[in-house]
Amino acid sequence: MTVDARRRPGVERGLAITAIVGGALAVVAGAPTRATRGNIDVSELARIVEHEEDHITAVELAKWIRDDKTGLRVMDIRSDTEFTDFHIPGATRVPLAEIARMRLDSAATYVLYSEGGTHAAQGWFLMRARGVRNVFFLRGGLYEWVEQIMNPHVASNTPQAQRDSIRALTMWFGGKMEVVDSTTTPSVLDRELSAPHSAATAESIRKIRRRAC
Amino acid sequence: MSDLATAAPGQTLGSAVAHVAAEAATVPRTRVRREPAPYSSPYLAGVGVGIVLLLAFVLMGRGLGASGAFSSVVAAAVETAAPTHAAGNAFYTQYLGNGGASPLEDWLVFEIIGVVIGGLASGLLTGRVRWTTEHGPAITSRRRLANAFVGGTVMGIGAKLARGCTSGLGLTGGATLSVGSWLFIIAAFAGAYAAAPLLRKAWR
Amino acid sequence: MMAPFYELGRFGDSTGLVIAVLLGIAFGWFLEQGGMGNARKLSGQFYLTDLSVLKLMFSAILTAMLGLFWLSWAGLLDLSRVYVPETFVAPQLVGGLVFGVGFVVGGLCPGTSCVAAATGRRDGFALIAGMLAGVFVFGEAFPVIGGFANSTARGAWTLPQALGLSHGTVVGIIVAAALGAFAGAEWLERRAERPARSTRVGV
Repeated sequence: MTVDARRRPGVERGLAITAIVGGALAVVAGAPTRATRGNIDVSELARIVEHEEDHITAVELAKWIRDDKTGLRVMDIRSDTEFTDFHIPGATRVPLAEIARMRLDSAATYVLYSEGGTHAAQGWFLMRARGVRNVFFLRGGLYEWVEQIMNPHVASNTPQAQRDSIRALTMWFGGKMEVVDSTTTPSVLDRELSAPHSAATAESIRKIRRRAC
Repeated sequence: MSDLATAAPGQTLGSAVAHVAAEAATVPRTRVRREPAPYSSPYLAGVGVGIVLLLAFVLMGRGLGASGAFSSVVAAAVETAAPTHAAGNAFYTQYLGNGGASPLEDWLVFEIIGVVIGGLASGLLTGRVRWTTEHGPAITSRRRLANAFVGGTVMGIGAKLARGCTSGLGLTGGATLSVGSWLFIIAAFAGAYAAAPLLRKAWR
Repeated sequence: MMAPFYELGRFGDSTGLVIAVLLGIAFGWFLEQGGMGNARKLSGQFYLTDLSVLKLMFSAILTAMLGLFWLSWAGLLDLSRVYVPETFVAPQLVGGLVFGVGFVVGGLCPGTSCVAAATGRRDGFALIAGMLAGVFVFGEAFPVIGGFANSTARGAWTLPQALGLSHGTVVGIIVAAALGAFAGAEWLERRAERPARSTRVGV
């Protein structure tokens, strides 16, 4: 038995129009993604980078975290497994691709970090392109964090008060400060302290899985 | 209808329930039918299928299919009847869960079970269930059944070569713009139209 | 990105199987509603009297294709996690031709044969039996034709990639082509009705 089909010309016409509109707009859209465009003022950014106003040190970040700075958003842009292995307390994982889509908070202070700092620096540009002004990155990355916060090596000729403040900061994050003989280490102070590489530091760094920056 | 006037309250309730059920089934007539209702517009039914297909993508990240379910059945049957033979044949091991078989296949078996249920439900509510054989006026139903079997065999081979059928490649591949699927669609229509004149007696 | 839910780990395999059944029910429902369980109706496609197969198939493709594009554009669906059937150029061309021939002989396709069987059509059952036999034949012949079956593989190759056009442009082309095909189908069906009317007028 074959029975005729019931037709609904009105609905069908409506569907056809929807298809035409949907198809035409698709041609216009091109890709099935909403492209996120950004704007950068090249000279302004160049000036900021040259003045080193784009990054902060691990110690500065550590103090911000310890002092519970308002609106601080620490972004870890490494992979899921790397993040699970170890991350800076309070950080959230935000892969670079997410930066295009993430919701921005105008009152926040964003700090990006990666293993070595290169990816974080690239993320910094992406954030600036999206119009965020309150953004920094950790220039030395997690290596710097380990060196300066988790396992700092402090020269023995460093003033006591300074050593105490470093130790307090380190212990707050569960790290371990070590005092090393000043004759074997140059007492050059970079900002607040110097931390030459030692076997222990190298070990800590090795624990952070090596990947492309 | 006049029978309502003379019906007992229970019967009126019963027909009212059938009325609601049929309404929910988007059929404008009002009861589980005896005479077949007209088919739905193919465009609307097609959009319905498209929405189901889209739901599959959204929920499962995959599309619909059919021929894969047949493969699973055959592979399972061969493994049960002749396990060593099955283990030695790359085609069967592909489907037997050990040789990196795609878990897609079981999903299709469950989907096909659903297809049977859905087809039956739609047929019941529109009065189109009938124990019969659809055949062209010029041939007998026996001839038709033989043709169906042969056609099915040929399609089984074609579907396995192409790794899909009109559902898996045509619909799923079509919507995802897969090159091979669109080649399949064109080739399938071409093959069918080429063979149609030879089969005219069977259908017209 | 909320979807695809299963791919993003929102639920497990058993829920997936339940969903399979539910989707299958809806699929079978709409196929039967469109008359796809009726081999005589389907065969009309190839004698240009009833082009419901083309209308239904391409309406479905358009709906899902546009749905995928716009859901992805809206950021709701991660297209990279959606399964794209792989391309095997030669086997799919040859397999398609073979399948098409079988379709005209059999009058139903694998999916619609289940709908036919569900509504009591014996030819549906016969076709299902044939399909199982065909798969078995292929499986047994696999040591011989397996090489061909695995040849000319291109992976998840899509039309935008192959044609060097944007995804949206390909979508637009397919929409235009399908709507053109629908218009052609309407014309062919009306033409198929006319000779019957004119013969009625005679005598």
